[in-house]
Amino acid sequence: MDTNIEIKNLSIEYRMRNGTVHAVRDADFSVDKKETLSIVGESGCGKSTTGHAILKLLPSNARATGSIIYNGKNILTMSNNEIRQIRGKHISIVFQDPMTSLDPIMRVKDHFFELIKAHDSKVNEQEMIEIASCALEASGVSAKRLNNYPFEFSGGMRQRVMIALAIALQPSVIVADEPTTSLDVVVQEQIMEVLKNLKRTKDMSIILITHDLGIVAEVADKVAVMYAGEIVEYADIYNLYKNPLHPYTQLLLKSVPNIKIGDMELHNIPGSLPDLKNIPQGCRFRDRCPMVKDICKKETPPIIDKDGRKVRCWLYG
Amino acid sequence: MKLKTYILTRILLSIPMILIILTIVFFVLRVLPGNPVLAMLGPKAPPEIIHAMEHQMGLDKPIIVQYFIYLSHIAVGNFGTSTYTSLPVLQELVQKFPATFELTFYSMIIAVSIGIFFGSYAAYNFGKPADILARVYSIFVYSFPVFWFGIMLQLIFGVWLHWLPVSGRSSPFMIPNHIYTGIYSIDALLNGQFDIFVDAVRHLILPSVTLGVVISSIFVRMVRSNVLLALSSQYVIAARARGESERKILFKHALKNAMPPILTIMGLQFALLLAGAILTETTFSWPGIGNYLITRISYRDFPAIQGAIVFFAFFVAFISILVDIINAWIDPRIRY
Ligand SMILES: Nc1ncnc2c1ncn2[C@@H]1O[C@H](COP(=O)(O)OP(=O)(O)O)[C@@H](O)[C@H]1O
Ligand code: SF4
Ligand SMILES: [Mg+2]
Repeated sequence: MDTNIEIKNLSIEYRMRNGTVHAVRDADFSVDKKETLSIVGESGCGKSTTGHAILKLLPSNARATGSIIYNGKNILTMSNNEIRQIRGKHISIVFQDPMTSLDPIMRVKDHFFELIKAHDSKVNEQEMIEIASCALEASGVSAKRLNNYPFEFSGGMRQRVMIALAIALQPSVIVADEPTTSLDVVVQEQIMEVLKNLKRTKDMSIILITHDLGIVAEVADKVAVMYAGEIVEYADIYNLYKNPLHPYTQLLLKSVPNIKIGDMELHNIPGSLPDLKNIPQGCRFRDRCPMVKDICKKETPPIIDKDGRKVRCWLYG
Repeated sequence: MKLKTYILTRILLSIPMILIILTIVFFVLRVLPGNPVLAMLGPKAPPEIIHAMEHQMGLDKPIIVQYFIYLSHIAVGNFGTSTYTSLPVLQELVQKFPATFELTFYSMIIAVSIGIFFGSYAAYNFGKPADILARVYSIFVYSFPVFWFGIMLQLIFGVWLHWLPVSGRSSPFMIPNHIYTGIYSIDALLNGQFDIFVDAVRHLILPSVTLGVVISSIFVRMVRSNVLLALSSQYVIAARARGESERKILFKHALKNAMPPILTIMGLQFALLLAGAILTETTFSWPGIGNYLITRISYRDFPAIQGAIVFFAFFVAFISILVDIINAWIDPRIRY
C-alpha cells in the first residue's frame, strides 16, 4: 500500500526554565493511505505532542528532531508558508476539547470561510456555503446551523463541527487527538460512529490518538503503544490483541477485562511514569515491569523487529 | 435578544446607577466644609442677610426636601445658578464641554493607538525585546505624574525649542468664524480655515500627548495581557491548524477576542482619564470643565461644583453604556 505519511526518529523536547522535558523519543511509524493508525498510551506519554508535531503546531519552547515525511517533504523543516498550505487542506486535526476549539465570537460558517479562503482566495460565498454544508451534514450537523455561534451548540455538536472543519477540504490525513475524551459516554459513542463512517466513506488516513482501548479495538488498523515518550510496541490490531509482545501491552490487556471502557492506566501495578525531565538509564518501564532483567537497568532497549512487528524490549533482543 | 433590545435594557439599567451617583454627589457636597452663603457674602455679613439668602437658595429646608428638589431640577436639566457668575450652570458647562471633549478625545486616540499597536505587538513577540520594551514602557510611564510630565513637555517643546504653544486652546483671534460643535479642530475644517485648524492642532498636541501617553501605559499592559491570553487559547491553535496566517490570527482572533475585556477596563478607566484631564487642563490652562471645576472650587461656587461633578458622572455613565453596547456588538454571548 502507498505510504501517506512517515515519521522517522522523531524526538521532541520542551525547554522549560527548570529543565528539559523529553516528551517524545525516537518515534518511528507510518500511515498508509486509507489506513487508521491508533496511538495509545496513558496520559502524559507524549501522544498529543506527537500529533501536534505532524502539523508543526508545537509551541515555541518545543524542539523537534527527526523527520515527518509527507509527499516527499519533511514537515519539520518546512517554512511557515509551506506548512500553512498543508494545514487544514492536506492534513487536519481534531482537538480534545471541543468547548474551546471554536472561536467564541465567530459564526460556524465563518470558521469554514476562514479555512476555505486560507487555501483558495477565489472561491465565492455560494461555493463556500456548499462545501461547509456538505461537511456538516457528513458529520451529522444540519446545514441550517451555519449561522449559529459556537455557544449555541453542545459539546458533542461542537466536536461534530470540528470534525466537519477537519474534513471539509478532503485532506489525506486527519489527526484526531482524543476526540471523545471530554465528552460524556453516549456522545462519545455518537462521535465514534461519525469517525467510523468517515473511515468507510472518505479516502483518508486517520491518526487516532486515545487512551481508551475500547476505541482502538473499534476502529484501528494499526496500533502504536506509547509509554513515557517512546513507542514500545507497533503492530496491526489483530496481532496486538491476540499476542501482545511488550510487557506493558500485556499488562494493559490483562488488567482491562472489558476493553470497551478501559483506559490506559495501570492502577494495580506499583510505580508510575518516570519523570520526563530526568529519565533514568535503561528501559523506561523497568520499575513496573514484572519481567525486568539486569540489562534493562543498564541499557536502553532498541527497537526490535519480530515477525514484521516492532517492539522495544530486551526480551526479544 | 436583538442588539436593539439589549441597548434599551442597558440604558434602563443605568438609571439606578445614575441615581446613586447623583445622591452621592449631593450628600458629599453637603458634608464638605465651607458655607456657600458665607463664601458669597463674606464672613462679616449680618445674620439677617445670611438667613434671607439661605431662604432664597432653599438651604433652610430640611435636607431631604432639598435632595428631592435637587433631583427634580436635574431631571429637567436645571443645574442651578452659579453663585459666582449668576449664570445658569448648565449653560456654562455646555460652553466649556467641547474643550474638554476635544482634549479627552485626542488623548484617547493617542492612548488607544499606542495601547493597541504596542500592546499586541508585544504580545505577538512575547519574551522578545519588543515585549520587554513594552513592559518597561508601561511601568515607567505609569509612574509619571500628569502635571510633571506636562511641565516637562512644556519645558522641552515650548520653552526650549519654541515649537509648540504651552497654554490655551488657540492663539489670540485664532477662533473659528462659525462655531458648530465647539471643537475648534473640527469647526475650523468645516469653515475651511486651515490656518485656524493648524493653530488648534498645535495647541492640542502637548496636552493630549501628556494625557494620552500617561493613560497609554495602562492600555499597553492591558492589551498585551489580554492578547497574550487570547493567543494561547485553543481556538487560536485551531485557526492555525486550518492554515490561517499569523497576521490574521492576531487581528481576527486574538485582538478581536481581547477587545471586550480591554474595552470594559478602558470604560472603567475613563473616570481616571477625566481626572487626568482635570490635571492636564490646569497644567495647560485649557479652558474646559476641569479648569472650570478647579476655579469654582476656590470660589466655593457650590452649584457650579455640583454641576461639574454631575456632568462628569453622566459622561462616565454614558461611556460605560457605550462600552457595553460595543461589547455586545462584538461578542454574541453578551447580547443573548
Ligand atoms: N507546552 C509544553 N511545555 C512543556 N511541557 C509540555 C508541554 N506540553 C506537554 N508537555 C509535557 O510533555 C509530556 C507529554 O505531553 P502530551 O504530549 O500532552 O501527552 P499526552 O497527550 O499523551 O497526554 C508531558 O509530560 C507534558 O507535561
Ligand atoms: S526491556 Fe526489560 S524492563 Fe523493559 S519492558 Fe522489556 S523486560 Fe521489561
Ligand atoms: Mg493529550
